[in-house]
Parts: sequence; structure tokens; C-alpha cells
Amino acid sequence: MPRDAFDVVLLGGGHNGLSAAITLARKGRSVCVLERGDRTGGMARSTQIALGVEAPEVAHLLYNLGPRVARELGVADLLETPPLPTVSLAPDGRHVVIEGDAARFADGTAHPDARAFTELSARLRRFAGILARLSLKPPPELDGGLTDMATLGELAGLARLGIDLKRLGRRELREFLRIVLGNAADLVLDEMPDGPLAGALCADAVRGNHVGPRSPGTVFNLMYRLGNGGAPRLPRGGMGALGEALERAARAAGADIRTGCEVARIMVADDRVTGVELRGGAVIAARAVLSSAGPLQTMVMAGVGHFDIEPLRRLRNLRCKGTVAKVNLLLRGAPAVTGLPDDMAPARLLVAPSVQAVERAFNPVKYDELPVAPVLEAVLHPPAGDGRCVLSVNVQHIPHTPAGGWDDAARDGLTGRTVAQLAAHMPGLAALVETAQLLTPADIEDRFGAPGGHWHHGEMGIDQILTLRPANGLAGYRLGVRGLYLCGAATHPGGDVTGLPGRNAARQLLGDGII
Amino acid sequence: MAATVPLGLVPTPLYSRLDALSRAKAWTGWAGYISPVVLDTAEFEYFAIRNQATLFDVSPMHKYRITGPDAEAVVNRLVTRDVRRIGDGRVGYAMWCDEAGMLIDDGTIFRFSAQDFRLCCQEPMSGWLRDACWGFDVALEDESDTTAGIALQGPTSFSLLAEAGLGAAAMLKPFDMAVIEPGLLISRTGFTGDLGYELWCDRDRVAALWDRLWAAGAQWGVRAVGAEALNLCRIEAGFIAAGVDFQPVHGALRLHRGRSPLELGFGKLVHFDKGHFNGRRALLRQHETGCAHHLRRIDIAGFKPAQGALIYHRKKKEVGHVTSGVWSPTTKRNIALAEFRAPFGKDITDDLWVEIYVSQEGQWDRRIVPLAIVDAPFFRHARARATPPGPF
Amino acid sequence: MGRHDRYDAIIAGAGHNGLTTACYLARAGLRVLVVEKNDWIGGAAVSRSLHEGWTYSNCSYVCSLLRREIIRDLELPRFGLQVIPYEGGATFTRDGDYFAYYSDHDALRREMARHSAADVDAYARFSQAVMRQCRFIRPFLLRNAPDPTSLAPRDLGEMLFLVKRAHGLGRRELGETLRFWTMSIGDFLDEHFESDLIKAHLAGSGIIGTGLGVYSPGTAYVLLHHYMGDVDGTIGAWGFARGGMGAVSNALGASFEAAGGTIVTGSGVERFVVQGGRVTGVVLENGDSYDAPVVGSNMDVKRTFLKHTDRAALPDDFVRAVERFKIRGSSGKLNIALDALPEIPAAPKGAPFLRGDLHCSTSLAELERAYDDWKEGRWSADPYFDMLIPSQIDPTMAPPGRHMMTVFVQYAPYDLDADGVRSGENWTDAARQAFADCVFDKIEQAMPDIRRHVLHAEIRTPRDIEREVGLTEGNIFQGELTFDQLLFNRPVPGYAKYATPIRGLYLTGSTTHPGGGVMAAPGANAAREILRGLGKANRMPDHAA
Repeated sequence: MPRDAFDVVLLGGGHNGLSAAITLARKGRSVCVLERGDRTGGMARSTQIALGVEAPEVAHLLYNLGPRVARELGVADLLETPPLPTVSLAPDGRHVVIEGDAARFADGTAHPDARAFTELSARLRRFAGILARLSLKPPPELDGGLTDMATLGELAGLARLGIDLKRLGRRELREFLRIVLGNAADLVLDEMPDGPLAGALCADAVRGNHVGPRSPGTVFNLMYRLGNGGAPRLPRGGMGALGEALERAARAAGADIRTGCEVARIMVADDRVTGVELRGGAVIAARAVLSSAGPLQTMVMAGVGHFDIEPLRRLRNLRCKGTVAKVNLLLRGAPAVTGLPDDMAPARLLVAPSVQAVERAFNPVKYDELPVAPVLEAVLHPPAGDGRCVLSVNVQHIPHTPAGGWDDAARDGLTGRTVAQLAAHMPGLAALVETAQLLTPADIEDRFGAPGGHWHHGEMGIDQILTLRPANGLAGYRLGVRGLYLCGAATHPGGDVTGLPGRNAARQLLGDGII
Repeated sequence: MAATVPLGLVPTPLYSRLDALSRAKAWTGWAGYISPVVLDTAEFEYFAIRNQATLFDVSPMHKYRITGPDAEAVVNRLVTRDVRRIGDGRVGYAMWCDEAGMLIDDGTIFRFSAQDFRLCCQEPMSGWLRDACWGFDVALEDESDTTAGIALQGPTSFSLLAEAGLGAAAMLKPFDMAVIEPGLLISRTGFTGDLGYELWCDRDRVAALWDRLWAAGAQWGVRAVGAEALNLCRIEAGFIAAGVDFQPVHGALRLHRGRSPLELGFGKLVHFDKGHFNGRRALLRQHETGCAHHLRRIDIAGFKPAQGALIYHRKKKEVGHVTSGVWSPTTKRNIALAEFRAPFGKDITDDLWVEIYVSQEGQWDRRIVPLAIVDAPFFRHARARATPPGPF
Repeated sequence: MGRHDRYDAIIAGAGHNGLTTACYLARAGLRVLVVEKNDWIGGAAVSRSLHEGWTYSNCSYVCSLLRREIIRDLELPRFGLQVIPYEGGATFTRDGDYFAYYSDHDALRREMARHSAADVDAYARFSQAVMRQCRFIRPFLLRNAPDPTSLAPRDLGEMLFLVKRAHGLGRRELGETLRFWTMSIGDFLDEHFESDLIKAHLAGSGIIGTGLGVYSPGTAYVLLHHYMGDVDGTIGAWGFARGGMGAVSNALGASFEAAGGTIVTGSGVERFVVQGGRVTGVVLENGDSYDAPVVGSNMDVKRTFLKHTDRAALPDDFVRAVERFKIRGSSGKLNIALDALPEIPAAPKGAPFLRGDLHCSTSLAELERAYDDWKEGRWSADPYFDMLIPSQIDPTMAPPGRHMMTVFVQYAPYDLDADGVRSGENWTDAARQAFADCVFDKIEQAMPDIRRHVLHAEIRTPRDIEREVGLTEGNIFQGELTFDQLLFNRPVPGYAKYATPIRGLYLTGSTTHPGGGVMAAPGANAAREILRGLGKANRMPDHAA
């Protein structure tokens, strides 16, 4: 049997693992991707909800994959779909439709806060676009203090950001510095009264994170989401198509992709990585290992004795409490939404009737309790041939594990609550449900290895971004052992389907001259 | 009413013995315990250490037990030296560092077996050890309050042991340890650079042990001593003290005040070839790029102790300071430990001067005196290493 | 026609910051007038006698932040200020236990060990981390906040100072500093401690005075804000001003008068007079008017500009920014006259920690739920309080054998919810009494017979504090201490250096950098800027050393 040896072994065939693989393989490195599950794509993959019907397993929309990275990764054509409008469902039936920076009522009439919304939205998008520059390269590590040459290089990169910010003009720059660390509730409610429009903005500001609209830092979360414009899209062929396209691109570049391969251990000798050992004992040699597993989990796989005590402690304290559950409903037919024209049904539907409602949906999760009225983001996917269709719903804020555990009653209760809340706008929905699938944050941790079941593998708090992501001293994707790198969402720039952590980690590895 | 904790300093199990002997009534706090600075006269206590046998209560010392299948791995990752090279039944002096290679503390490691270690040190370390043990199959126990200790130091200390019926300790070489009687561990260790032992037992039994040693020591000149006399001896022996010769980095508000083992002159205790240990990568970098400071032993002209004095190059440029300075009664030298800013103290060792302020009955005088760098410990005596030890 | 006079400078409001500014100006040789709406001076640093024989520090109640440089510059001890440090504190549980914070280092370690062996060393690490941050921030308090948007030489100088300080930290500590400034006190404590009780005891400083919960990012900074003071160089220590907090104001007032200043009480500023974009004086509510080329307002930014300044004189952008400045009432206060020291069955009689700050909140979750109530416009059903009996140390506060107790309560909303409508009007007498009862119920956790000892209780809701002291919404910091309102953002981006769009009109209160607490730094900094504007910059002492 020939010895299995590669330049790089990648742990995890999620979108980040695949984008790292593409980046490395295109540079002529021999790459092997090891995926524990039977499909690649990670949280962007699809799952079979019924025979012949696919549903997005977790992520159901693409809004943060930039065109430049999409081109680099060879998946740009998937993005050539029109963005979906967002509909913020109102209890009184006066739903608000958001398209780009414009907002109106679903019946076509003007929204009284449309102008304020447009101004705010455009400003946030402008700021977000500038911040997004930071996401294309590794974060400053400030390793040698502020006068070190390497740091000066990093600061020069920051200086470009500074120039961009300066170009905004002093007034806008001041506004940027005022709001960037602020909370979404104040930002939004300073511009408009509470209601479904304000609720929609705040729901997006807290999505995926363990925060409520009043939590400082949520304006940054909102900007992060808008880094590439933020327009939600269903990629051509559905979310699952993205994972497949990334896998195709990686294979085309020469990467060896193996599913059903679980890594038992990362092998280290003489403070450098030498390969991995699979469950079952097979060994794959490599000069570098990139892991899209959680940072602490990666250290454990390599043996904690290879790392200093402080980074381990910092990673044990990584804030990563997952708060989103996924409910996929297989429906016998498409439901009608009261007060919404039928052609609007393939929109991104939000149940976030007010900022206060979003805050109230957040409160219980702090105590490992379930919300009475969770905030929902639902997408009705195009029907299959037989008229059946999938309604996929992100439900927030849901604790990783509620105080009483995830027994059947708790699971059914959550699904039921989700359906009931949607049914308020989709009469008869319950009767349409053929199958309901629930992934709690605990399930997401199990299936995807995401620490804490957190979408982003780590809270996107101001204290855990840039130089501090995933933890102070670990921002350079390196884990200390030569050749061992992180490439998952816990690294800069963070979560969402962006391909960036994987791509940046791969470039860092190439730049470090290890392979 | 709920339970309440005692305020202030509390007695060690030997306090009643010490109090009965204390004429100076000079006490200090050591890890929350009452500990003698001087019992009678520091001068006579010092000479007893160098001439007879002395007892010092080391019960307040922090003691941690690390046991389990991964114990050796944990300790080896913790400290800079390779504990695999310490034999079972041996004690080793060791240092441990933070991720930046800065010294957290130093202490002694008692290796009972690959699965059983005890760490003895000055600073409380349970939080750090808890972190160090995370992810390993070991148990950590804080034995500080349950295990007591007596340091028996001085040229007649073995004779005293023999007199007390503990002559089995004769076969202990320096840094050996053995259970000489059930429940009594004796290690041939100490902080004086002279012949000496440390005796360890349960807290409840230590008073009886003290009495036994005291009775046996009558004809061997036994004397109880306090911290001041010991400090003189440890400087003569060239040992460093936490918070004096280096700032334990966990206690530093200014992190750059931390010092590495390389800077403190303990490069021999840093074993880069043993696999990963905490701070290894940082120390390796420092090993390659050079130290920022050097702690050295110095011999100062004149007779005035130089504690805290500044050091100058060519009498002009300030390049360091004395961290511990005393007149050494045994070697009759004016000795000190001093920290230099590199390259002084290592590459530049000439033309170095100490600035000493002396008060003579209210008249202050500033003296600039030359110093010489000394490699060996100031005090060294063959009797400290002879096995079996001589009677005096 | 009322009285009329002319001064070099007028300060509106005799709070501790206003008086501080006034002192510095008077000492620089200016003829200075302080006008105050109440019949007494002190703003929120007052000692009042509302029950015969008792002295209440009825707003601020303990002292630590007051900058030692200012105490010395203004010779406050000579004018009667004595600050006595107090010893420790405690948190009492429902089941008769407590956590005692001893000032005695060894006792504190034993007490920590009694609750959690793991937390003993954790506390050392925690306080080390906080002290490192204190060391970093303290030099910034008596300087202008660095403004990253400005290229003016002075602003670049401040930025350079910041960069130098940051560089001095080194990479690792710089990272920890960035984290500390942006994380929640709850997360920070969770990283260090295991014991819920110890965490709850330490968390209070992270929320006192703010509209944030213990798990809101940014509250670690709030804790720092409460730790960065000192008593005689012991950083983080708190003390009592002998004679109540009014002693601070009275010393400032006396120092001011000794420097030739004039104080007029009993009528507040009705409006700031502005002509051609420049302030020319003030008109008081009683019709008196005073002219001066320089006016300092000790009122918060909202009150100054939205209530007492002609809006037409202000740029629209500025007004808009002032309108959205967040000043949220989140705390109330009970001041209580006791006929004797209440029984505290859990603790030994005379234990030193009883002379410190006492609490009854036993977990971070309990504190966070208290915040959730406030977000809904209710006072906390299970409130946090910071309770002290200063008369145990300070004999001037109550007759011999009797006691004065101060209870700072969080959270209490300014706009109280009643049947879904939030309004300050809902603070009826019945509501105020119900609020006090809720607090007393919880005090009984530590002091079961407390109600039996009460001779008189002053109940202060955020609305009461606003009405009497003039703090908008009763917010003790004159503005939330969140990052969007700190440093160069405080109070309005572009106006963080005490000057305002109206020439000659300055802000001198806690609404400016570095914020609230009885610190007097805003007042001193404002004086520096005023004198600079007058070309007298070098009259201020140099605090750099």
C-alpha cells in the first residue's frame, strides 16, 4: 500500500475547509480534505428531508460571500441570482418589504420611515464595505509591540483602512466611530419608531449571536453581515449547490477529498506537525494540517501538552453559546401569507415584529430557557415537481441545551411554537406540514463540530474579533506547533458562509513558507 | 450564624514551640501563617546555621501533589527542566514560566515516581496548576495546610538526626529523599548551601517531631532560627528569592518586569530538547536573540552592604541595581545579587561601580565602589556534599 | 428687574465638577460666580439633614474616584475634607450564609476558599488584571480624550500619548486591554471564578449607575470605572467622606470662596444668553442676570442645550446628537435613619466587613434578571443594592447609638410601566412605597428585623433624583458609560473637549470625558480648556509627574 502523504491535510470539508483546499491546490500544493460526514459543504450543505427532496441543513441563504472571493473560488456563477426581498411580517398584516436600501409596505404604499431607513441602511452598508476590507487578510497580530517591523506592516494595512475612513469625510468618520461599538436598538430607534421595520434590522443585528438588540456590539454584528452588501440570495440550485460547487472546484484543482473520514489525532513530533491519524489507525503524513474544527478541539486532537497553558485557558473561555435552531418543514403545498401578494412568497420572511420583541426573544436564552415568541427567519424554497415544498426556518434565541435537556417534549414544543408563530401569518400551515426536522444548537455542535453549536464557532463579540479572534495571541491562524493552523469560522474574519477564514488561513500558511 | 474564617495571621502547628523560644517577638506573615523573622538575635542564629544545627519551620511553604498516569507529562510541560532526568526518590530545583518565558516561580520538585510528584514553592500556585493539569489524566491536591515541614540545617544536622534515631538518613545524597520512618519523609535539601535536611510529615505530628529533634539536638548546639538569618545564608549560597531577585510574573502589574530563567542565569535548567514545555517557544526565541537582562553574583569592594544600590558603568551610565546585598560573615566578603541591563553583566563586566549611601550617625555619605562578577556561589563547603555526612 | 452683575466667568450649577472648575478659574485670578438652583451646594455630592439629628449622603454616598491631584491642588483637606477608607463588604445569601470581602488579605483568601478552593488564586489573577487596566487608564483621566479624527497638533499629541501607553503594554497586555474594554463583567467573572456568590459580589461595580446588565458587553469597563480611584494611593479602595459626601462639595465651596469666588444659591439658570454665536451670560429663574464672557455649565449636555439654550443658536446636527445622547435612569436610593444597628444573624457581631458595602444579590443570573425587569419599565423584583451604614465609622452621621443607612438600588426605571404605558407620571406615592417595600423585603434577607428599626426613610426614584438634583432621568453619570459615549464620543463627537458650538460656553460636568462618579476630573479638565481659551494655560499645575 502506498504511503499516504500530502503537503497539507485539511480537517473538515466545510465551506472553509474547501476554500482553503482550493487556494492551496491552485498553488500546486498536494492537498487532502478529510470530512467526517458523508457530504462536504459544512453548514452550507443540504440534507434529504424526504425521498427526493433536499433541504438546506443549516444555512439557507447566502449574503456574505463577496464577488472577489466567489471568483477566486470559482463559484461566482452561483451568485447570479436576484437577491430576495425581505418581508418583515407585522401582527396587523401591514408587512414591510425591504429591498436593498428601500422599504415599503407589502401593499405597495409608502412606509413613513422609508427615508430614515434608506439613509441608515446606506450608511451602514458604506461603513460595512470599508470594514470588510479587513476581512480579506489576516488580522494584525501586534506581535512585537507597536514599533516592530512586522507590526508596522500590519499597521500600514490598517492605515489604508484609515484612509478609506478618512475619505468618508470627518462628519461620517465621527459617526462611524460613534456607532461602531454601539448597540443596534439605540441606533435604529434613534431613527425610527419601534415596529416591524426596526425589528427586522435588529433581528439581523443579533442573528447567530448570543446578544439582544440592546447589547453593545450589535451594530458591528449588523455591519459584518452587510460587508458584501448583505443582499440575501438563494444560490442557483439551492444552498447545497454551493458546497457541491466548492467541492468540484477543489477536485478540479487537484485536491483529494475524502468523506466518512474521521481524524482521531493530529500527529506532532519535535514541535512540528507530521500528519494525522484516522479513526481506525490509518496515518496520513503531511507537512501542514489546517483544521476547521474548533480551536480547543483542534488542540485536544493534537494533545494539549504541545501548547502553552495560557492559550488553552483562553480557548476554554471562548464565548461560543449557540443560539439558533433550525426547523425545516416539508409542506404538502405552498402556504399563502396573509397580506402578502403570492409573488412575494419566495422572500426572506422575518418574524421580528419589534425591537422589543427581539430583545424579549433573547432574554430567556441567558438562563438556558426557551423564548415564548422566538424570532424567525423563514425561506420558502421553490416547490419540487409534486408541489411539495420546503420551508426552512432559523429560530432564535434557543439555548444550546435548555435547563431540562432536549427531551422529546422540549423538541416538539419548539417545533410547535415555531409552526404556530408562522401560522399566525400562514393560516392552515400546521395542516400542511408533512415532516418537520429540528436541529437544536446541541445538534449543530454534534453534526458540524461547531463549538457550543454556535453558527460562527465563536461569538462575534468585539472582544472576539480581529486581533482577538479566536483568542488573544492566536490571531495568525497558527497554533504554535509548526505547520498546525486553524481555518474555521472561529478565526478571522469569522462566521457566515464567506469562504474567508479558509482562504486567509491558506494564504497565511503559504506566506509562512512552511510548505 | 454561618461559619467564619479567622482574621489575620494564624499559627502553624509549631507556633507554641516557637513562641516559647521567641525573645525578639519579631514575627512576619508567610502565606497567612505566623513565621519568625528573628527568635533571639539574627547574628547568632546565622552563626548557628553555619556552625551547629538549626531548626526552621517551613510548614507555610505551598505544597502541591500531582498524581496519576499523566503526572510526569504534566510536570514536564510545567517546568523548564526535564523531570524525566530526575530519578524516583530524588528532588530537583525547577523553574516554571508563563507563555512569554517569564518566571512564574521557582521551587523544588519531589519525584516519588513517574505518577507521583510534589511541588514545593513560595507563591500560591493552585490556580496555575489547575490550568496546567487541564486535559491530562491527573489529580491535583493542595497539601499546603495538611503537610508540615521542618528545615534542619547546619554542619551538625546529621549528627542530630542520628541522635534522634533517624540515622538511616545517612545514605541520603544531596537531593535524595526517603521515608525514614512511617509518615516521615526526609529530603537532603535546604536553602542554606550547607549540610541540611528537610523533614516532612502530617501537620498533627510535626510538633512531636520538633520536640524529638530539639531533645536530640541539645549536645549538637541546636537552635531555632528565623527568616533573617536564613536570608543571609541563602544569599551566600547564591539562591534567588521571589519578589526580591525577580518579580514573579503573575504578580507583576507591569508585565515587562518579568524575567526569564535565561536572564536569571539558569540556562542549565532550561532543557529545550525535552519536548514542549510552557514558554518554550518564547525562551527559544530569547535563546536565539539574546537576553535583555542578566542577574549575576557580585563581590563589592568595601564593607557596606549594598542592598538596593544602583550600578554604573564607568561611574556614569546606570546599568543595573543590586537585588540582594549583604556582608557575608563566613566568607568575609561584601556580596550581592545584581541585575544588569544587557550587555552589561555578561559581555561587559569591567569598569562597573556600585553607588552606596552610608549613614554614620546621621551623616550621609555617598560611596562609589568597584564590583567584580563572581561565577561560583559565595559559600561552598565540602561537608555540604559528603555522603555519608561527617559528624560536624 | 432683578440683580445684575458682571464676572469673568460664571458656572451654572454647584455640583462637585462645577465647583472644581470654579476653583481652578478663581485660583487663576478670574472673578468667578457660581449659581445654584437649590438652597444648598453640592449637586449629587451633598449631606442633608432630612430627619432631625441625622445626616444623609442622599445621592452619592462613598468616595474613591475624587482625583488625588485635585484634592491637593485645591487644598481640600485644609477646607475640611477627610476621607476615611472603609473595610471590605459582604453579600448575604437567602439561606443564612454570606460571602465576606475582607480587607485583610489572608482572611479574604480563607473566605474565598470557604466558598470555592479554585477561586482563591482566581481572585489574585482577577485583581491583577483589573489593576493592570487601572494603571493603564489613570493617566488619561486628567487629559483630553484622544480624537482619532483630528490632525490638530494637540490632538495628535494626545493620540501619541495613547499609542505610547499602549505600546508600553506589550502585545499580550494590549490584547487583554482591548478585550477588557469591550467585554461584559459577567463573562469576565465567569472566566475567573466558579462561585456564583463571589461573582455576584464582584459584579455590582460593573452595573452601578448604568442601563446595562452584567452580561452586556462594555460592563467590564464600568467595573474599571469604579476601581480606578484610590484612597491615599490604594487603588480601588473606597472611603467615606467624614460628614457625608457634602463634605466634598463644602470643601470645594470653601476653597472657591477662599480664592475670592462668589456662590449664589436658590435660583437656577433659566437660560444661557447667546449673542452672535457667543455666550454673554446667564439669566436666572428669579430674573437676576449676570454677564460673563465665559460660562461653564455643570448640567448634563441634554439639560444644558435642550432646556436652557436657544435652539436657534445651535447647529442642527449638534442638537440631533444631543437628543440621541443616552442618559438613562436606572437606579434609586433609600436613605434610612435607624434607631439601632439592625441584627445581622448570619455574621459575627462587629465583624469588620459589616462596616463596608453590603449586598443580597447572590448570582449573576439574578442580577441579569434584575436588568430584564428594568428593560420592561419595571423596577427589579429582585433588586441589586449597595448598602452601607457609614455611622459605624463616621460619628457625625447619626446621634450616638443610632445609625444612618444608605441603600443604592438598581434597577429602577425613570419611565415606569403601568398597564403598558411608560411614564414618569406613574411614579405615584403608592408606586414609590411599593418600590421601597420591595427593597426592604430583600434587605430582610440579611437583616430580618430591619423594618422595626426604621425611624425615617427617604425614598428616591430616578424621577426624584432628577427633580431635586437636576440630573436628567436621575442618571448618576450624566450619561451612559458605553463606548459610543466615552472618550472622544463624550458627550458629542467633535465636542469632546469641553467647548461647545457656542463660543465661551463650556460643559464642566460628568457628561464630559472621563465621565461620572465623584471624580472632579471633568471639572478640572474643563477649567484647563477654559484657561487655555483665555491664554492662561500655564496656570494649571502639571499632573504628569
